[in-house]
Amino acid sequence: MAVWDAALRAVRSELRGRGLAEVLTPLRLPAVAVEPFIEPIAAPPGLLATSPELPMKRLLCRGAPSIFQVTPCFRAAEHGDLHREEFHMVEWYRVAADAPAVRGDVERVVEAVFEAVAGVLPEPPVAPPRAWIEAQAVPLMAETLGVTLRGDEDAPALRAALRPVSARLGDPLATVRDDRLATSPRAHALAAWTALFSAWCDVELDPWLAARRDTGVHLVELPPALAALSEVAASERDATRTVAHRFESHVHGRELANGYRELRDADEQRRRFADVNALRASLDEPALPVDEAFLEDLRAPGLPPCAGVALGLDRLVLLACGRRRLADVALELPAAP
Amino acid sequence: MGSVMDVSELKKNAKVEMDGHPYVVTEFQFVKPGKGQGLYKCKLKNMITGAVLDRTWRSGEKLESANVDSRTMQFLFSGGGAHTFMDSANYEQVELSEDLVGDDKYFLLDAPQPGSDQPIAYNVLFYNNRPVGLDVPSHLVMEVTECEPGVKGDTATNVTKGATVQTGLEVQVPLFIKQGDMIKIDTRSKSYVERVNVNK
Repeated sequence: MAVWDAALRAVRSELRGRGLAEVLTPLRLPAVAVEPFIEPIAAPPGLLATSPELPMKRLLCRGAPSIFQVTPCFRAAEHGDLHREEFHMVEWYRVAADAPAVRGDVERVVEAVFEAVAGVLPEPPVAPPRAWIEAQAVPLMAETLGVTLRGDEDAPALRAALRPVSARLGDPLATVRDDRLATSPRAHALAAWTALFSAWCDVELDPWLAARRDTGVHLVELPPALAALSEVAASERDATRTVAHRFESHVHGRELANGYRELRDADEQRRRFADVNALRASLDEPALPVDEAFLEDLRAPGLPPCAGVALGLDRLVLLACGRRRLADVALELPAAP
Repeated sequence: MGSVMDVSELKKNAKVEMDGHPYVVTEFQFVKPGKGQGLYKCKLKNMITGAVLDRTWRSGEKLESANVDSRTMQFLFSGGGAHTFMDSANYEQVELSEDLVGDDKYFLLDAPQPGSDQPIAYNVLFYNNRPVGLDVPSHLVMEVTECEPGVKGDTATNVTKGATVQTGLEVQVPLFIKQGDMIKIDTRSKSYVERVNVNK
């Protein structure tokens, strides 16, 4: 319990100290961000929050300053060493800022929690990352896979590019339904890139991160098809490439946070949700409801330019304790007799 | 036939059907990169052949659950190329082929074990209501029906001799074992464990 107290205090004090205001948003929502492989848990007449993203952005649309929240989140059927159906997210948004600013926050929050937890751990302290590096997602994927990738290939082009390495990756695009998605190129590309990215993380990225365990890694500028709720625009490094301004932060080889330069275009956001639902339909998964009030707010008054990030607090506590399984650090009441 | 199951229902001990064979999940790991597809990394054991393999499923895949169940049965008799068992619960009789039973034929006893008044419980595995596997108890007590006489005065350690038990199984036993002795056999290694004193 002392570990969680220390971690929560560190998170709040760090983010407040960096100028963010704490908020609370509803846990039961009419709709959540429409994602291909994040399943909400029903709580009639709504859904339990899979993340506080949409309600926090609605606060920003209504003039909120930079804000943060520590909140439970729920994702159905996620059970594993690093996954639980109920977990805790630290999510924050910086108005008039870009992704590098919130990446800086991530580094400071990680450091603060490691330090705070070390202060109450009976065991020797676990060292936080010695340094942080940024890795460009698409070039790293191309290099580790040994193929040529621009990042904006459509599904057929991606399938062709992967042909030489497909077997080694365990046929990563096997679940992509070309027959059902050929008429929706955007959803098709989303399906193909999601499948590739998932296989790549498992086969290539994990060992790559494991070789850099004492370094924090921001995987930046994901392929445009994987933009989710981030803005797609020219790369900061190479203006000839179009990328998603989305990043993932990894600590001790574990994925810890996901952040965006936030997408502000309501029409594009609606198309992205539709793409996800088309992908879901191709897998015979039910469509997820679209949060019309959120899209309405994006249209007017509109989301100010901002960047945001969501960080898995349970995983951060786990890493700071040097443990391996979320169950090892869960604050749980003993089972009833 | 099994029914369609979603990969999210996979867990340890789940039974799935692949290529017409039932498999049991012996190890299970769920990983999920980013907003990506969940990967369900499984080690599976073929419930008929015992063969082990690795298989990873991804979110969105469907698979078939295997319609397998295990029933406790007692052994009745052998003959006509088959071994006949009876379901202890409903007295239904089932024939297991010699091929299926294989060397486990040496461990089929119709009488209770010494000290017990219950028939020996054999677990018969059914797949789509067809018997496909037999589990015999890990240890059984059997009578030595034939063995060479021990050699007096031989003091070397680990010296054994051949013996045959009531089912025809040949095992190596210590020199002090005599015909008519009851001995405990490890059915997995088909080897002698110890002599058992039975009050007849």
